[in-house]
Amino acid sequence: MKSFTMTLFLALACLCSTEAHAGWQDKLQNLMNPESKEGKILSGATQVVSSSQEMTYATERTVGQSLALESMQRFGKPVSNEALQKYVNLVGNAVARNSRRSTIPYQFVVLDSPVRNAFAAPGGMVFISRGLLDVVENEAELAAVLAHEVGHVAEKHALKSIRRAQFLQGVGTISAATMKGSEGKKFESMIGDLQSTLFDKGLDQGMEYEADLAALETTYRTGYDPAAMISVLQKLKKLEASDSGKGSWFSTHPPLDERIARLSSSLEKYPDHASLAKVSARFAKTVKTAKK
Amino acid sequence: MKKTTVALLLLALAAAPALGAEKRWVVSEGTALKAEQSVTAASVAELPVGAELTVVEGAGRWLKVRSANGKEGWVYAGRVSDTAPVAEVGGGDGLFGDSMQKSQINTAKADSARSIRGLSPEVAQYAKQRGTPESLKKELDKILSRKVSDKEVRTFLKEGKIGEYAQ
Repeated sequence: MKSFTMTLFLALACLCSTEAHAGWQDKLQNLMNPESKEGKILSGATQVVSSSQEMTYATERTVGQSLALESMQRFGKPVSNEALQKYVNLVGNAVARNSRRSTIPYQFVVLDSPVRNAFAAPGGMVFISRGLLDVVENEAELAAVLAHEVGHVAEKHALKSIRRAQFLQGVGTISAATMKGSEGKKFESMIGDLQSTLFDKGLDQGMEYEADLAALETTYRTGYDPAAMISVLQKLKKLEASDSGKGSWFSTHPPLDERIARLSSSLEKYPDHASLAKVSARFAKTVKTAKK
Repeated sequence: MKKTTVALLLLALAAAPALGAEKRWVVSEGTALKAEQSVTAASVAELPVGAELTVVEGAGRWLKVRSANGKEGWVYAGRVSDTAPVAEVGGGDGLFGDSMQKSQINTAKADSARSIRGLSPEVAQYAKQRGTPESLKKELDKILSRKVSDKEVRTFLKEGKIGEYAQ
C-alpha cells in the first residue's frame, strides 16, 4: 500500500511538472547517460568549467612547441617537399575547422621517418610520419588520421595524462625568465613525461577510442567518408605482423581489432557515409609524386 | 491491478513525444546562415563559433535553424554539432570572465600574431637550456610560419567537391 501511495505521488509529480514533454525524471536519468542529448549538454557544460581552470592556451602552445623540438630529435626532421607539407596542411585544416576545437591555429607536419606513426602536441601541432603516409591511399584516409590527432588536441588528452606533473601542481604558467629557474626544471620534466606518454607508453585506451569517434564525426562533418578511418586501421592490421611495432601506432594504441570493431558499430550513425568524398586522384597526384 | 494502471500511466507520460526543440552549436569559423539549402545562396547572417541554434526542420546535410536573435535560415550540417565547442583559456583571468566566443577568437588571433614572429621567447629559452640544434629551431620556425587561410581551405574543398561543395 505504501509503495502504491508513493507511485501515485510520483504520477502526480509528473503531471504537475512544468516540463511539457518527456518528463523531468527522464531528463534527470538522461543526464547520467553520456550518449543522451542531455548528457552531451552536461558534458559540454562541464568541459567549459574544467577547461577554464586549466592551463592557459599560451602555455599550452609553449608545451606543444617544446615537445615538437624533442619529437624532431627523436623521429627526424620534416620532409623538405613544400608542396606535400602544404597539401597535408590543407587536409588537416579542413577537418580541424569542423572539430570541437576549431578556432585555434593548427599546423600539420610530415616527418621524414619510416616508423608508421602520428601524434599531436598540445596546442595544435600534429605530426604524421612518411611511413604512415605511405600506408594511406586516399585523401579521406589522410583526413581521418589527422582528425584522430585533432581529437586528442581538442580534448587535451596529452595534458590530462600528465596531471600529476609537478609543473601542473604549481603556477602552471611559464615565461622566458621563469624557464631558467626551478619552474623551468619542472617544465622540462613535464616535457619528458609527455614524450614517454606519447611515444612509449601511449595514451589511455579510452582517450584513443574517444579520438577515433571524433575522427568519424569530424571527417563526416567535413564531407569525407568516415569509413576511411576503418580502412586505414585495416591496412595497418595487415602490416602489423611484419612490423616491429616499436614507437608506431601499433605499440602505443589499443588493439587494432578492438578499434575496428568499435568504429564499425559507430559507423551505423552515418547511413549515407559511402556517398561522401574519398578523393583518390588529388591524393595520388600530390603524395605519390612526392615519393618519387 | 491499480498498481498496473498507475505504472501504465507513468509509462505513457514518459513516452510522450518530445516536443522540445533540438539544439545545435556552431563549431566552424566562417559559418553563415543561408537563405536556401546551397553554399551559393545569399547569406542571412554570419554565425560565430559557439552560437546556439534551434533546429526548425531538416535532418539531412542542410538544417533549417533559428538563431538566438530570431533569424531563420539554412546551415550546412557539417558546421554545427550537438555538443558545445571546447572553450579556450585566455591569458591572465581565464575564469568565467570572457564569453566563450570572445575568448576563443581573441586567443586564436593573439596566437596567430605571435606565431608569425616565429619561436616564442619561452621556447627559445627552452631550446637554449636543452642545447637543441639550431637546425631544429629553424625547422620549427618554418612549421609555425606555414599558414592556411579560410579562403584556401574553401577553394581546396571546392576543387575536391567535398562537403558543402559536393554535387
